[in-house]
Amino acid sequence: MDIFLQQIVNGLTVGSLYALVALGYTMVYGVMKLINFAHGDLVALSAFAGLTIYTSMFADGGTSMVAVITVFMFTAAIIAVVGVLLERLAYRPLRTAPRLSAVVSALGAGLVIQNAIMLIWGPNMKIFPSDLFPSTVYDINGVVVTFTQLMILLFSSVLMIALYLFINKTKMGTAIRAVAIDQDAAKLMGINVNRIIMIIFIIGSALGAVAGLFIGIYYRGITFDMGWMYGLSAFVAAIIGGIGNIPGAMFGGLMLGLFNALISGYISSAWAETFTFMLLIVVLIFRPTGILGEKVAEKV
Amino acid sequence: MNRTNMISLGFLLIMGIFPFVADSAWLAVGTTFLVFSVVAFSQDIILGRAGAFHMGHAAFFGLGAYTTAILNTHFGWPILATWAPAVIIPMVIALLTTAPIIHLRGDYLLVTTIGINIIFLQILENDLFGLTGGPNGIFGIDVVRLFGHEFFEQIDMYYMALILLGITLFIMKTLDGSKFGRAMFYINKDDVAAQSMGIDIRYYKLYAFAIGAGIAGAAGSMFSVQYSAVSPEAFNVLQSIMFFTIVLVGGSASLPGVLLGTFVMFVLPEIFREFETARYLVFGLAMILTMILRPRGIWPVKFGNIPSYLKKGKK
Repeated sequence: MDIFLQQIVNGLTVGSLYALVALGYTMVYGVMKLINFAHGDLVALSAFAGLTIYTSMFADGGTSMVAVITVFMFTAAIIAVVGVLLERLAYRPLRTAPRLSAVVSALGAGLVIQNAIMLIWGPNMKIFPSDLFPSTVYDINGVVVTFTQLMILLFSSVLMIALYLFINKTKMGTAIRAVAIDQDAAKLMGINVNRIIMIIFIIGSALGAVAGLFIGIYYRGITFDMGWMYGLSAFVAAIIGGIGNIPGAMFGGLMLGLFNALISGYISSAWAETFTFMLLIVVLIFRPTGILGEKVAEKV
Repeated sequence: MNRTNMISLGFLLIMGIFPFVADSAWLAVGTTFLVFSVVAFSQDIILGRAGAFHMGHAAFFGLGAYTTAILNTHFGWPILATWAPAVIIPMVIALLTTAPIIHLRGDYLLVTTIGINIIFLQILENDLFGLTGGPNGIFGIDVVRLFGHEFFEQIDMYYMALILLGITLFIMKTLDGSKFGRAMFYINKDDVAAQSMGIDIRYYKLYAFAIGAGIAGAAGSMFSVQYSAVSPEAFNVLQSIMFFTIVLVGGSASLPGVLLGTFVMFVLPEIFREFETARYLVFGLAMILTMILRPRGIWPVKFGNIPSYLKKGKK
């Protein structure tokens, strides 16, 4: 039973990270119908950028809440700018092109970011310092929860609730939903579609940046090519939840995290990805648009 | 003789002369180029002609390679005898794995086919049933023996690959004029209209996957003989992405486009091998630029792509 609860805690932690990354995919997909293959690499970039910011600004190891918050803010801002540039340079010129052209452009952009990381930081694994968060460990009836895990769960829940309220309760959120439903109609209603897409990329990239930093702090070791696998898992999570659907991405992320943790705990981690994709295929056989995805009639 | 035939024959002729001017290193690159062109054509049947977003083609390519490798090294089959299974097994596996997901639209299909590739890769790496050799793969695959002659030199490999490409070009041409080709053409243009005309989309898409996987399997078998070894990383998702990109960068459903795409995506990086570290950065930039400047590929099919037998006055 203890192992089970422990895997639940670990699974929820990883699941929240998946959910944060999945939100970036699902928001871009919802508005542009594009798989942003470069998003995973943005997540990796944020881990490296955050590490450099931390070591250059707080080299003396003076860890405080201020330092951590500064690193998060700076990194999120940088990645948001990169995300907006990505959209401007690689996706906007292709908005009217065939859909697969934009996919190839996204794959190319991912390759560029990944290799830029390799050229700047080198091909070897970089290690995050362990003192960003206090190494406090809570033992609740034999279930171990670290301070980092607690922060990940807390912080990602706050971000997800904030995003949910932003999308559903504000004027800007309404505009985003309108653009997701019908770009042309939204344009006729006086919504600046380009601006909405820019905001989507700012929010998605910033969430990805938070996830990237947490990945660095939680796993410690970061590599230039790690974005691909995290990105793919997060994208699978977004599809399982129902792509384009924001609560769906959160639900899918948490579900995939839990599923992976239980598979690794009880069966074998060597087959983790096989089970991930089996789950995806099973979900799609029964719900072709994901668990929370609406059934959309195809336009002819 | 129409334009496509001229291009195909001209290309085969040029490639036939190539070994006389190339050194051995370039001959090896040339052989792999021919093999990859075959795989790219098989990807084009599925992606460019049937319009199914398929990003797991390296799995079928690898299945052919591993079929030859396993039958030869574990069971002692001669290479020639492994050719038929290396085509049939990928075909059957493609039908079994894609039948439950063929109804998925666009991006959903794309991600599940990536999944097929990843599952295949984990089977290889985890050495299922002790047959696949795990992360190291399988070494010591035999050479082709026929009438007491051993075809082991690089130039033999090259011409075998060229013959395979010739057969593939012939199949592509036959497909174009067949019932299957016409159905594909229609489905790709407008699948709803095609369906309402009574074309069974599911059947033809599965048909495309089966043919594509079979051709890729043949290429995989050739690939394993060329290197006399197979290992999992030659069939990972990046490889699938490369085949996917070749078709779209070159021009989908375009014969010269696919050849050009293979050249650009595989041979050009070989030429710039000395710029080891920065080349993939430039490569990614080139992918973005190509798509912005030529959204339908470098050498797209001509407008409408209406087969000549459908045009007025041409019988």
